[in-house]
Amino acid sequence: MQYFESILRVLVVGLVLGAGLPALFAVGLLSYSHGVGVTDADGTTHAPNPAVKFLGLALFVFVAAVIVVAIMWITRTTVIHHFGVDLFPFLPKK
Amino acid sequence: MVVRFGGRFTVSSLPATNPRTPGEQLVNSAQVRGNCLIDTRVRSAFVGWIARHGSRITAMSAELIILVLLVATALAFDFTNGFHDTGNAMATSIATGALKPKVAVLLAGVLNLVGAFLSVEVAATVTTQVLNIQDGKTGQLLPSINPTMGLTIIFAGLIGGILWNLFTWLFGIPSSSSHALFGGLVGAGLAAVGSAGVNWTGISEKVLIPAVAAPVIAGIVAAVGTWLVYRITRNVVKKRREEGFRWGQIATASLVALSHGTNDAQKTMGVIALALITTGHLTGDIKENGLPFWVVFSCALAIGLGTYIGGWRVIRTLGKGLVEIESPQGLAAEASSAAIILSSSAAGMALSTTHVATGSILGSGVGKPGAEVRWSVAGRMAVAWLLTLPAAGLVGALTFWISDGIAAVSTALWGDIVIFAILVTASFYIWWRAQQQKVDHSNVNADWDAKTNSVVPAEVRQARATARQGKPKEPIA
Repeated sequence: MQYFESILRVLVVGLVLGAGLPALFAVGLLSYSHGVGVTDADGTTHAPNPAVKFLGLALFVFVAAVIVVAIMWITRTTVIHHFGVDLFPFLPKK
Repeated sequence: MVVRFGGRFTVSSLPATNPRTPGEQLVNSAQVRGNCLIDTRVRSAFVGWIARHGSRITAMSAELIILVLLVATALAFDFTNGFHDTGNAMATSIATGALKPKVAVLLAGVLNLVGAFLSVEVAATVTTQVLNIQDGKTGQLLPSINPTMGLTIIFAGLIGGILWNLFTWLFGIPSSSSHALFGGLVGAGLAAVGSAGVNWTGISEKVLIPAVAAPVIAGIVAAVGTWLVYRITRNVVKKRREEGFRWGQIATASLVALSHGTNDAQKTMGVIALALITTGHLTGDIKENGLPFWVVFSCALAIGLGTYIGGWRVIRTLGKGLVEIESPQGLAAEASSAAIILSSSAAGMALSTTHVATGSILGSGVGKPGAEVRWSVAGRMAVAWLLTLPAAGLVGALTFWISDGIAAVSTALWGDIVIFAILVTASFYIWWRAQQQKVDHSNVNADWDAKTNSVVPAEVRQARATARQGKPKEPIA
């Protein structure tokens, strides 16, 4: 049962990060391409809209930030070892 | 060498003549000077010491040779681990053209190298997950296991892992390198100690349950991600969509490669550490003081180099065989892999990178409306995964028996030399077979032959077949 629980937890986290981030990235791409003003696949044209374009860029930056956090997560034990700083103090130790 | 050295001293009062090697010249010149400097009594004491301890020195050097062979085998395993798993990170980027094949393997190789250097918490107790031969706290062998037997178990286990890795690579099947290593160790452990030597709960908890869970979780996550991505961007022009997702794809693939380096190189470091602890070359607290630098360096180099060599056959199956991947699918698959590998290691459940990556790629095919998944290829992989543990175990057990049998009539050194020779021969044969129908960076993205589902592109097989038939017979003179 303990394993079932951790499997479920991994599935939930996986869905939020592993499926949620690509979805956010997709929204970013959508906003950005609407923002710069393009023709859609179905032929609709959009006038350039700086605000929507900015939203798209912001979403890209957010996704990039999550990737940076992920790199910090991978290297956290190394950072603890060499610098004595725990980058994720609120999470259980590995 | 020891014997000759001892002999040299027993006759060293005679002037040595006709030196054949620089080493002998050195010894001789030292003796000429020694004749003047060293008191005869000192020399006879030394001769006596050699006589008394000669056999011990021979035993020690035998152990040293076994250790060297073992470290070489462990590094070879690390190398196969690297090239077998290049595809986990880079198959999707190569298939979608986000990265040129050579660039992709270089990136993955460098990230694996860096990742291996980052690992400080070495898995020095890696065998405790499946065997009961090692103390979980100190990392030393249990008192009931004698060092020679312990070394041979690890040796045979590594051989089982390497040969299964190479065999699956020949057929282009991604299979977990850690499972292959565990399988080999379990087989060798069973052969050596019997079922008491095997940690059965460890096998079910650390190997079997994760093996079933990983592809399922990864498949679900990637399918949901893929579906969402296509749904959201359905109105975006295809070219722009492909380009946009390529960047995300490269970033997420790099994450997978980096985490692979930190996780997998540690296992080999742990195996080498166990061997060094057993022979007394490594003492003290590994967790506190870390490993000798050469261990970390050589393991990092081996896994990085292996990744760079690129298991093109496995890359091809993952990138072309399972699903025809577009870059939005690639992004969803790699994001799913990265998220699951990282979150599962946080939850203390080590999932195999290979199982996760394969599940993710499958999921990306399920989630894309209208995409086709080649279930027969997936089925073949599932069979290979089921066979990994028993097959690697069988090889591990056989090589243990061979080594042990030879040790019974000769010495442990010869037993281990013979199984090392078997490993080299078998590896070379598999490599030679692969060279006959070569898959490399130039044809990794060739169209998949759905009729045979063979990893070898149809053109290569045809060229080979015509070369065989069309070869003019040698005229008999």
